[in-house]
Amino acid sequence: MPVTRVLYPLYQLGNPQLRIFRPKWFLTLVRPGKELPSDTVQFRIPLEMTKYDVKNYLEKIYEVPVGAVRTRIQFGTNKKKNHLNQRVKRPDYKVAYVQLAQGQTFAFPDIFPTKERAVAEGSMEELQEKFMEDEKQRQKPDPRRGGVTEWFGL
Amino acid sequence: MAARTRLPLLLSRNLPLYKHHKQAHTEASVKEPAYPPIVPSLTAKSKSARRRQAEEQIKKICASTVEEKLSLITRVQWMKFVVYPQTFARNADRWYQHFTKTAYIPGLPDKFSLDERGSEQTTVQTTVPGIGDEAFADIRSLVTNVILQERWYTKKRKTFLFRAQEQTFGPLLRNLVAGLTHSLAKYNPQLLLCSLDFDPQVHFYWRRGQRIIPKGHRKGRQEPTRFQIDDCPHSQIRIPQQLKQFTPLEDSYAAEVPEVTYAPNLLPLFRRQYDNNIFTGSKLPDPARYGHTQFHLVPDRYHRDRMERLKQSDQVEVFLRANGIASLFAWTGAQAMYQGFWDREDVTRPFVSQAVITDGKYFSFFCYQLNTVALSVEADSDNPRKNLIWGTESLKLYDGVEDGKVVGLNDGVLKLLVQFLLNQP
Repeated sequence: MPVTRVLYPLYQLGNPQLRIFRPKWFLTLVRPGKELPSDTVQFRIPLEMTKYDVKNYLEKIYEVPVGAVRTRIQFGTNKKKNHLNQRVKRPDYKVAYVQLAQGQTFAFPDIFPTKERAVAEGSMEELQEKFMEDEKQRQKPDPRRGGVTEWFGL
Repeated sequence: MAARTRLPLLLSRNLPLYKHHKQAHTEASVKEPAYPPIVPSLTAKSKSARRRQAEEQIKKICASTVEEKLSLITRVQWMKFVVYPQTFARNADRWYQHFTKTAYIPGLPDKFSLDERGSEQTTVQTTVPGIGDEAFADIRSLVTNVILQERWYTKKRKTFLFRAQEQTFGPLLRNLVAGLTHSLAKYNPQLLLCSLDFDPQVHFYWRRGQRIIPKGHRKGRQEPTRFQIDDCPHSQIRIPQQLKQFTPLEDSYAAEVPEVTYAPNLLPLFRRQYDNNIFTGSKLPDPARYGHTQFHLVPDRYHRDRMERLKQSDQVEVFLRANGIASLFAWTGAQAMYQGFWDREDVTRPFVSQAVITDGKYFSFFCYQLNTVALSVEADSDNPRKNLIWGTESLKLYDGVEDGKVVGLNDGVLKLLVQFLLNQP
């Protein structure tokens, strides 16, 4: 990050005594598209952020032991066109693969687990479900016909 | 209508042929007709034809001489993973064990470890088997001189950036290896015939595992994963006779190799395409065709102090282990290939080599026993053999140099080094 003179907001009476300045960067922890080793975490980071920035960010702010950081820039597609036949570019982003140190592991949490739905016996819902299943079964084509259309034949 | 009349006409013309056939018994049933076996086509565009072509290729390789074998195996270039023995990747040793099907056994084989334990128990004065106390004292003074030569007697200017290891400890190791080999030739007749190479090149190319090609015109097809090691040890000793195996081949069946299910590029490992090479450091007709000991120098980039500065002290031993596994596998594998063994013709006897990896002060010792080179998917199914590597943690040879004297020279390490060099068939 280039060294720039930062104008901090003027302290005015009544402002909080302790002011914490955080970088303007945001890291997005993402679920890896391809399975990664258990000690590797994938982030989407701003393009101008470097490996060392990522390392410092995670170590200083979140106190995560970082072993190694690898980055790449993902090209956002510009294949899509709008109604004027102009190309629409999706923004590029940088992907960081962070390897954790000290034998730490990370698994991306299952945020929306599928709930086990228990249907009460004899309720309206159960009847409805059963009806739907029957109906589905009835509407399936006859497997003995081997995919020949219904209207064909004697 | 014309078509209908044609059929009876044809029949009437053909029918009289059957009249001449004899219905009587003939001698034909006694004579077995010798037909060539029915095999798939060699040129058709079919799966069976592809399989037949592969089989023909294997037969061709098996039938050819060693030189032709090597050229046939390495001829076709594809993208391959380049394995660097001295790697920056974290926890590379487990991956390398998987790639080379090598089981790591901490400590040294019985041959060395018993002696080491004996020397620890009965203090410093025990002798190395094969040489007397006086000879050991000579070697001790030789090593002291070698260390002092580089660290005390010569005035060295400041080294170039990241070249300190190469410029200070490189010559040290060079003198050490040359001196030890020369002085121990009395006790090990193999060393008289040996060939000592400095900065040799060692290459090995092999296939292990496979993947399904995700995209492109070859999408959906299976492709073997290829690997190439291009190693450059500091020095190596080759001898004309093969070293004895450390354990019988069958002992490796029970050993465990860590399985890594991820794609190798997550290590990270990168793919390149260039000549496939298999090379032990000398050409085929060289009489010194078996490996004895390799010496590796840890470069500045992976030096213990630098790793500590980067807070990666836990990776020091991992790096050494990975280096030992990759280098020794490449070297020993290439030796086995030079004897005509390859993926489909697995080794009939184990191949053995040793390595010493050092940063000038700390020494780690590795022994490798190559039990199999059949690593590709087709050859590896129900192959219980595994390669074995024994290795020590790094051991300190000396503490430092003060006032023209070497402080704290560790005899245990020195003895181990001597034993390694005294190993003979």
